Amino acid sequence: MTETPTEPAQPGGQLREPANRVSPRAVSYWRLTAFLGALVEWAVLGVGYAFLPGRPWWVTALLVALVLPSVVHLAVMPTLRYRVHRWEVTPTAVHTRAGWLTIEQRIAPLSRVQTVDSQQGALMRLFRLASLTVTTASAAGPITIACLDADVAHGLVAELTAITSSTTGDAT
Amino acid sequence: MLLVDPIKTLSQFALPFLITLVGLGSQDTSWSLIALPAMVAGAVGIGVLPWLTTRYRITDTQLQVRRGLVQKTTLTAPLDRIRSVDLEASLLRRVLSLTKVEIGTGVDDSRISLDALSVEQGDELRRYLLARRDAGPGSLRDGHSATSSVQVETVAARPPQPADGPSELATIDWAWLRFAPFSLSRLVIVAGAAGVLAQFGENLPFLNSESVGDAWEWVLDQAIALVLGVVAVAALVGWVLISVGGYVIQWWNLRLTREAGNLRLTAGLFTTRSTSVEEKRVRGVQLVEPALLRLVGGAELRALATGVGSGGVTKLLPPSPLEVNRRVGHDVLEASGPLEAALTQHGAAARRRCHARAQWSTAVAAVFATAATIGLDLPWWVPLSVAAVVCAVAVAAGEAAYRQLGHALLPGHLVTASGILLLTRTALERDGIIGWVIRQSLFQRRAGLATLVATTAAGAERVVIRDLDYGRAVALADAATPDVLTPFIA
Repeated sequence: MTETPTEPAQPGGQLREPANRVSPRAVSYWRLTAFLGALVEWAVLGVGYAFLPGRPWWVTALLVALVLPSVVHLAVMPTLRYRVHRWEVTPTAVHTRAGWLTIEQRIAPLSRVQTVDSQQGALMRLFRLASLTVTTASAAGPITIACLDADVAHGLVAELTAITSSTTGDAT
Repeated sequence: MLLVDPIKTLSQFALPFLITLVGLGSQDTSWSLIALPAMVAGAVGIGVLPWLTTRYRITDTQLQVRRGLVQKTTLTAPLDRIRSVDLEASLLRRVLSLTKVEIGTGVDDSRISLDALSVEQGDELRRYLLARRDAGPGSLRDGHSATSSVQVETVAARPPQPADGPSELATIDWAWLRFAPFSLSRLVIVAGAAGVLAQFGENLPFLNSESVGDAWEWVLDQAIALVLGVVAVAALVGWVLISVGGYVIQWWNLRLTREAGNLRLTAGLFTTRSTSVEEKRVRGVQLVEPALLRLVGGAELRALATGVGSGGVTKLLPPSPLEVNRRVGHDVLEASGPLEAALTQHGAAARRRCHARAQWSTAVAAVFATAATIGLDLPWWVPLSVAAVVCAVAVAAGEAAYRQLGHALLPGHLVTASGILLLTRTALERDGIIGWVIRQSLFQRRAGLATLVATTAAGAERVVIRDLDYGRAVALADAATPDVLTPFIA
């Protein structure tokens, strides 16, 4: 049997957006975590700057150059990310879109899913958020839906577990 | 086992023993007369303990291994989860006609190992486990991890014999030795040895700075070209000897066979290794052509499987002719085409991305050269010429990266190729794809490109197709695994 290439007929396929957005509270959560991260960075920089003798102009320039990106990150990232993050679960597959600069779309058939977990950190609990991770037998293929409403996440875990436990085989 | 383990233990403790003996001996010679037998007895005791306490048995559904004296552990593996059974016999074990059995169950890093079974016992166990994996329940049997006539009898109790005998896919052809010097994988070992030698070299009595200086003057006195030539020839001859020797030691008596639904690879001059993988677990092959090897028409072949070896990748063939690699690869895949089919290139936008990626090195080199020029007060043309040379190399690298980038979708396999110096063609069974990732960086989105990743449980667990037109990536993924993407296509 000689295999000959079969190119897909039309090269113009387009994945549609997954149906659901994550919880709107995710924006505040992302902003808060980004702010806490930036706070540490600013504190270190501020202490370094305060104790530097002389303070030549280029040190000030360097300080601004280091602080500015984190300010932009803080302002832009949460809303951008909220616009990008979407998810959908059908009876046969999970589909997510995530990221803000680099955007990733992941699809896994539910027949190949091995585990379904949910995670909730202390801060996430404050915002009543939870993340859900679906893993397959490939280390390259875990699918995370970040920052869902906690109730939605728990319902989804139950739903996915029911679907995946009904499939047989070892999913490799 | 009764001999192997004490010798292993003795060799592990040899240094502390020696130090203790010398230490004691310097005070009072009579001490060492008592200490030596005690130490040997201790080593024998420690060595014998695992033999006394390790037992395995095969029930209807499970392989059980029990070990430990005080802290007992029992490992169990369902027979139908056993994916690979490897035999390994070092020189010492071969002299004693023993072998070590390693059983892979698909769970990463936790292979069950049974050391020092007799050769027949090991072979019997291998055949039995691999045949039993698919067969129905059989009789219960017990075994002791050792050689004794009683147990050989119990284990030899007729495992289900495979209906079809082994069929040979490849054997070693000593004409392949010509490829050995062109494979640089052994260079790492040579470099390591050189490093060790340099470490010890500092402590050698004749290697002080004075004698090195003398030697250097002597070298300068001779015709420098002649000396360099001799050194180069010596290095070349040394390399040829090492690479050919290593090739012979590793691949002596190579046989790749197919028996009862398993692929089996045996090879080795001193340490003989045998690797068996269930064919169902082999999800694809990888044809690797390093630049040097490609120059002389050679390649290497690897299998992508779940639950075997390090990272799920097993070498199937040593450096050998490309044609042989393709034939054996197609035999393993049971398809013809994946390793020689013409690939679709990724187009002008992908070419620009390849070149842009390669030119990062030019930017980095230019920055460093400029900084060095300012710092060291070098003439202005230094950074310019450095940038020009790096840029030219990067252009060549970018073009090569684009030329060698490609993909094809065959009825049974997804095929991709990529690489600059190390050209790799991967053929993955379409049935082995368990998910998709479509990634677009900021730059890729502007160029309408995407990186398509097919995730799988075999091999490196992912097959990456870089810089593919976004629409084509979606269409390709949809065509490769029907129905998975269909609900999500607009």
